[in-house]
Amino acid sequence: MTEREALVAGEILRIARDELGIEERPVPGEALAAKLDSLALLGLVVAVEDRFHVVLTDDDAAGTRTLEDLARLVVARAPEERLALAPSTGAAP
Amino acid sequence: MSRNLHPAILSVGRALPPHYADQDTLITALSTHWARKHFNVERLAAIHRAAQVGGRHLALPLAEYAALDSFGKCNDAFIRVGAEVGEAAVRAGLAAAGLSPADVDHLWFVTVTGISTPSLDAKLANRLGLKPGVKRTPIFGLGCMAGAAGLARASDVLRAFPGEVAVMLSVELCSLTLQREDASVTNVVATGLFGDGAAAVVLSGGSRAAAARAPRIVATRSVFYPETEWVMGWDVVDTGFKVVLSAKVPEVVEAHVGTDVDAFLAEHGLARREVRHWIAHTGGPKVLEAFRRGLDLPAAAIERSWRSLREIGNLSSASVLFVLGDLLDSGEARPGDVGVLAAMGPGFSAELVLLRW
Repeated sequence: MTEREALVAGEILRIARDELGIEERPVPGEALAAKLDSLALLGLVVAVEDRFHVVLTDDDAAGTRTLEDLARLVVARAPEERLALAPSTGAAP
Repeated sequence: MSRNLHPAILSVGRALPPHYADQDTLITALSTHWARKHFNVERLAAIHRAAQVGGRHLALPLAEYAALDSFGKCNDAFIRVGAEVGEAAVRAGLAAAGLSPADVDHLWFVTVTGISTPSLDAKLANRLGLKPGVKRTPIFGLGCMAGAAGLARASDVLRAFPGEVAVMLSVELCSLTLQREDASVTNVVATGLFGDGAAAVVLSGGSRAAAARAPRIVATRSVFYPETEWVMGWDVVDTGFKVVLSAKVPEVVEAHVGTDVDAFLAEHGLARREVRHWIAHTGGPKVLEAFRRGLDLPAAAIERSWRSLREIGNLSSASVLFVLGDLLDSGEARPGDVGVLAAMGPGFSAELVLLRW
């Protein structure tokens, strides 16, 4: 991951913990679907879309297996102003 | 026990509030609200469409929901509209059974979408002119399975009083529990699925004469699943009832329903293949599919539940009673047919009712 992708991954983890109450943290490379049930995963996707102003399609979902994949997609697609992140306390593991 | 000693289901009265909105109208109305909190409104619309519900009857005209900004206002609407649709359902059921309010010995009332003391059944005793000796039993908190559970409990009592008449009424005004500030996906799923309505089952004890085509409640079974309180329910918050709904519901249903139904049937010398009518709670697409898979049924076996879901949504405890009413009205059941009515709900638990025509 690039530094920016790592920052986004950390922010996604913060959202999951603080806004969705998801305590589970995936280990690097682990499938998100292995950690989260379908409603939790959908909730995370909605929260990521809200935070970064991106639209994630079904095609995106097919190619987005891990937290790292999701962070990469967000960095590629989000408007620049939504990516202005300070290092987060919820940094990626 | 002889067939004629079992309580009989005489009719199912059903009532829907007059305010109908199709799913697209509801999505359009909610989109403005969603857009205040969410970037991709189309995703939430897609969740609503995935419920496969064509539309819902609502307790109030759509425009009046904006003014419901407190639990008190929602609950006041529940009491007012609940009494109206509850009365309509009971009157329809009694008329179809050829009975009058004065014939009712027991009034069971189930709901999970509003509260009052005296409970709504007391208001109905006045509105309907029930006799002073009517025995009232309100039940709150069994959620979606309360229709099946109430039917089971009412039939249990009628075994002790075989000459008496019971009405088991479900009133669910799910739209009044909408938590507008809850932006969670769970709330969006619930908002897309649940509708409003009331159903009243009229039952008679076994020693009263009943039409030959009236199904009898042969047996009932409750199944409680320990340590599964987290699966489904309400969190009671300042603004009312906030839905708790785990994605595991279909998984729990599929894992248990086959074994539980088989054990229940076996106690009565029956097997799954002998059941001609499946009356399943219309929990939602995933729950219905889990029910079908868990029992290894063909799709047609629960088509009546699918149709009800598509036409009016999930009416919580009233849903399974609407499906039962549709089956009775169809005239499809023949003497000797066996049916199983089933619903699952908060606990987590299941209620099973064995019917024989």
